[in-house]
Amino acid sequence: MKKKTLLSFANFTLLLLFAVFALFPIYMAVINSFKTQKEIFNNVLALPSSLRFDNYLEAMSQINFFNSMWNTVVVTFVGMTGIIVCGALAGYKLARTKGKISTLFFLLFIASMLMPFHSIMITLTQIAKGLSVQGSTVGLGLIYIGLGVNMAIFLCHGFVKTIPKELEESAKIDGCSELQTFVKIIFPLLRPILITIAILNLLWLWNDFLLPLLMLTNVNDYTLILSINMFFGEYNNDWPSILASLVITAVPVIVFYMVFQKFIMKGIAEGAVKG
Amino acid sequence: MLSAKKQTAGVKRKWYLPITIHRRPAEKKYKSFLSMLLFLGPALLFYSVFLLIPAIGGGYYSMTDWNGLARTHDFVGINNYIQALRDDPDFIHSIGFTLKYAVVILVVQNIAALGLAVMIEERAKSKTFFRTVFFMPNMLSLIITAFMWSFIFTTVLPQLSEWAFLTFLDQSWTSDPKISFYSIAIASLWRGIGYMMIIYIAALQGVPKHLKEAAIIDGASPFQTLLYVTLPMIMHAVTICLFMTLNDAFRVFDLVYALTGGGPGRSTQVIALNIYEEAFSGNYRYGYASAKAMILFIIVLVITMIQVSIMKKREVES
Repeated sequence: MKKKTLLSFANFTLLLLFAVFALFPIYMAVINSFKTQKEIFNNVLALPSSLRFDNYLEAMSQINFFNSMWNTVVVTFVGMTGIIVCGALAGYKLARTKGKISTLFFLLFIASMLMPFHSIMITLTQIAKGLSVQGSTVGLGLIYIGLGVNMAIFLCHGFVKTIPKELEESAKIDGCSELQTFVKIIFPLLRPILITIAILNLLWLWNDFLLPLLMLTNVNDYTLILSINMFFGEYNNDWPSILASLVITAVPVIVFYMVFQKFIMKGIAEGAVKG
Repeated sequence: MLSAKKQTAGVKRKWYLPITIHRRPAEKKYKSFLSMLLFLGPALLFYSVFLLIPAIGGGYYSMTDWNGLARTHDFVGINNYIQALRDDPDFIHSIGFTLKYAVVILVVQNIAALGLAVMIEERAKSKTFFRTVFFMPNMLSLIITAFMWSFIFTTVLPQLSEWAFLTFLDQSWTSDPKISFYSIAIASLWRGIGYMMIIYIAALQGVPKHLKEAAIIDGASPFQTLLYVTLPMIMHAVTICLFMTLNDAFRVFDLVYALTGGGPGRSTQVIALNIYEEAFSGNYRYGYASAKAMILFIIVLVITMIQVSIMKKREVES
């Protein structure tokens, strides 16, 4: 029994140590975002002498916070909605159609899942320029549909197979068209997998960097991540404001995480197992 | 993705619905084509324009000397590939650096994530707390992660090293090529471990209790139970996590871009950063950069295929 207590204690200590490691950078960023430059260089570990919100005002104006936030919301919303709708439609149809053509399309969609983004980015940039979707937040959202739909199709395809066919058949007998059946019967049934898809894509789109960097040419269209990157590039010694900008960008994400933690973790575990 | 083949095969369905039998074949064909178009159309449109065509285009341009500015370009066959692999020390170095990074991340991230998952599952009350804390870094974008760690490396650690027992922290974390490899790895692990941990926890919860109990009754130590009972049972999760870690490690870009910018010099340049530089910062050698991008794709493809085929053999069913 004694050995067991000792083991449990060691276990707890190790976990606690790792918790310190996980929280330390965040804690440092938060406390130092309230200090002056001088306070930081005097003692980085000390708590701030007073809660200076000046840094936050400075950071918010530097990264154009509300505008950047809105841009990020637009990109994420367009991309996510598109991925869910297109993915559910195609995933359902491919799972319910038999035959070589259907299989071929399915393989066509999932074949690219291993392709690194960097392998397509050069040609993609050219195409986006040609189609004039470069330089617009909505355009960027549309590109995300193209890049993310394959995974959604794959996940929906797997899920539809677990839905009994009888439901659709009876809807058909009742006079529903194929699209009506999809909207009224299938789409609501797909909800669990659609939540998984939504969460995985939300995290990806909200935090993505390279594609927005290539696509958004105008500062007014910048997403939060791009604005922060630009701010850091210009004032990389102004730690108080930079840390404030990092904290203020992280806050919405952390709040979202705290509220939807259960769904997020379930989404990730399921996305991984089925992927 | 891994079980795609299994899923498409082996599912038998009825061909005809009683309702459609009386239709003429031509009309039926037209209708089914129309419904295919309706359901697949939107996905296919975006997918073709923004992924499929760029991918095919990338493959084609990798065999040209296209520089992005000129309207014309010549076909040069596999010359770009030869040049990249033979005459481009920076690119070769970036492959080596990425490989080293991938190996370190693969080993440390998975061992740490699995270890933490096992340890967390042992706890009763503090389980949720630790899970929440460990996964939190993963919510932050890689760019924010990089800047936070940049603050730690350039300001916090040098200051802490003034204390006598912490002098070892006095390193040029982001400006010494030898050290900055570890800086990148630390920041990456900080964010990545929690993600894999979640997958491992889910897998551990799926292991039937009676198997573990049986092992304990048979006199197995906790460590033996883990090694011989639990681990084989969660092999599918290990396969997935290794696959995801490898995939991400070879594509690493944001973190290195924001933390060291590939520097000092090009000492911490990863493959993706090398491609980006070749194509977008000054050089505009699109054809040549495309060839490098194809090499990256082939590396990812080959390595993950090998990994999956090795791991698949080790999986067991309960």
